[in-house]
Amino acid sequence: MKNKTKNKTSRFTKINGLLWILPAFVFVVGIIYYSIFYTFNLSTLNWNGLDPIPIKVGISNYTKALFSDWIFWKAIKNTIVYFLITFLIQNFLGFIFAAILHTKVKLATLHKVLIFIPTILAPATMAPVFRLLFSPQGMLQNIFNTLHLGITVDWLANPNSALFILMIVAIWEFTGMSFILYYAAMSQIDKEMLEAAHLDGAGNFRTLLSIVLPNCKGTTVSLAMLGIIGALKTFDIPYLITTGGPYHATEFLGTYIYTQGIKQAHLGYAAAISVMLLILAICGAILINRVNKGDAK
Amino acid sequence: MKKGRIIVGALVALMVMVGTVLASSSETSGTVVWWGWTPGSPMNEQYIAQFNKVYPNIKVIWKQIAIADYDAAIRPALASGQGVDAFQVSAGSGNGGIHVYAGQAIDLTNAVKKALGDNYKDKLGKAAITTMTVNGQLKALGVGSVYAGNLWINQDLFNKYNVKVPTNLNEWITACKVFKEHGIIGFVQGAGQGPFDMDTFHAIADNVSPGTFTKATRGEVKWTNDSIVKALELWKGLFSNGIMQSGALGLQQYPEANNLFMSQKAAMVMMGSWYTSNCLPDTMKAAIGSASSTKQPFTMVPIDFPDIAGTGKTGSMFGDLDYATAVSASSKNIMAATTFAVWLGTSQQGQQMIANSLNVIPSLKSATQDWSKIKLVNPKKQNDAIKNYTKKAMNSGDNPRFADINADMNQAMIDVLAGVAAGTITPKDGAAQLEAAQGSRK
Repeated sequence: MKNKTKNKTSRFTKINGLLWILPAFVFVVGIIYYSIFYTFNLSTLNWNGLDPIPIKVGISNYTKALFSDWIFWKAIKNTIVYFLITFLIQNFLGFIFAAILHTKVKLATLHKVLIFIPTILAPATMAPVFRLLFSPQGMLQNIFNTLHLGITVDWLANPNSALFILMIVAIWEFTGMSFILYYAAMSQIDKEMLEAAHLDGAGNFRTLLSIVLPNCKGTTVSLAMLGIIGALKTFDIPYLITTGGPYHATEFLGTYIYTQGIKQAHLGYAAAISVMLLILAICGAILINRVNKGDAK
Repeated sequence: MKKGRIIVGALVALMVMVGTVLASSSETSGTVVWWGWTPGSPMNEQYIAQFNKVYPNIKVIWKQIAIADYDAAIRPALASGQGVDAFQVSAGSGNGGIHVYAGQAIDLTNAVKKALGDNYKDKLGKAAITTMTVNGQLKALGVGSVYAGNLWINQDLFNKYNVKVPTNLNEWITACKVFKEHGIIGFVQGAGQGPFDMDTFHAIADNVSPGTFTKATRGEVKWTNDSIVKALELWKGLFSNGIMQSGALGLQQYPEANNLFMSQKAAMVMMGSWYTSNCLPDTMKAAIGSASSTKQPFTMVPIDFPDIAGTGKTGSMFGDLDYATAVSASSKNIMAATTFAVWLGTSQQGQQMIANSLNVIPSLKSATQDWSKIKLVNPKKQNDAIKNYTKKAMNSGDNPRFADINADMNQAMIDVLAGVAAGTITPKDGAAQLEAAQGSRK
């Protein structure tokens, strides 16, 4: 009799519990996973988004991207270069700023705000400013002209330099994010550990390298994961500043998906690239997680 | 008795309701949301004001989208079936290409027959019919055509600095050099915006060998033809001989190059007949204001593309229907939207207004510019130049601007022109890429 009541309660609790997760379940399955499966289905079609009958093409959109589309590979290469350089520089700067602001710096709050402000500014707002800044008729050119430096600011028009300009913009914008996460991580480090290092004769630089940096490893891993996913999703900065040009020098997967899907109305092909982007993002996250776990062992 | 009153009352109420519904979607009343990218304020509002003089009960709401964002905005709007009653479409590859959106537009053949009679084809420009007919149905009504192939110059700046108007490559280089010495950009082009590069390249190709570009777009001549390679070499030369301003590939034609010309920081620009409307004082004032300039309107005149190939074959112009008005098949105001589209594309009053706005060459043959009513910024220097220019554009013959180029070929051409200009690919390889893209169309 007691057992029966217990079973009933347990079943009731289970059903009751399931009800609690229902909204999240509906949201995740209904919106996110449905969209992923819909995109996957779309990737097997040749469709402009409006024709009533799409043409089924199987995996040919994937084979086209992988084996005969140099722009797709250019976008992948740009993403890798962009991730490596922006990740290294913005995290280095974020780490250094965080370390400095953990010392007794005057106007520390003001400095924190100044470092973090670019992160909260919308790229859409800043893009025209950067286009003007790096334009041959812009502010930077005026400064160079005034100083008679003989430098022409045509960097956005040059395929060899345009990507680096976008990296400068990204570093300017996202260093604040690295800074704030490192700053929070450093606040968690046991002060006794730092004092012990000093008592053992470690200088500031040694302490930073051997005590602070290893203790911020979790933050670095998180930033790496966010960096990979962010680089794969990059769209606003290149689209608004260079529109992926010149000659695809600043093409990213996001801008290429937009060009294919919206401008050229190849929705199936754009969906295939989106699916590959998703796979790359998952692979990147797994890779970093594994490296992190391997190091921990 | 009471029952009878109730029935009569209900019938009256029903009739009022039906009347209201019918009235909201009739030919003479309703609300029409009109999407498009051109010509922009204040002209669209002027068109609507004129339309409302004839149809005061149709409220037209103009929804302007930037040309580069038009496809991104209109496709989901049409797919959702809401919020679009009339929308602009273009011929060929550009934004709003009719072949993409034809499925969402109603057939306007009967409407245009009703307005112009069975011989409507004789009354409208050929391009207005041919480019907008899809599977035998007239899917949009052409408003007007635009032509390109020429340069626009700021005559006041040429006079001020005593610069000779260029007619060949050397004169063009010299003119740009003189302007640069005075802190003015000689020639400005937003080479980062592909369709305008195509105009310049088309002009060069026509200068090298008239008609070859058009034949190549139709697959009648290979893109690897010597004259196309030569044209690509000349195109590349513009970026190294001081004609193109530095950083041209990083610049957009709209708004940047346009703003530099309108703010009188540049003396020459590659624009087509749509730019003619800037010769009207009010339109120019608005354009100057949009360029964040406080300067006064200036004298701008069209000139032939300089003979940079040295062939003597200059003055070629190419064009096609700039935009047409389609009526959304899912609109709740189809009749009112059709009235608007038909009025704008076929009525004498609507087309006369289009003609006088100088933005496009009207589709209705009987509507020509009424020069007695058109006041230009500098009539003495502009009137004859603009009249001749318009006449020349209309007689340009079978030389379409974008109509024969589909979206993929369009992208290939934009890529090749940017690649050749940047020195990433050679003109010969560029021509081969164009031929490969043409081949994949078949």
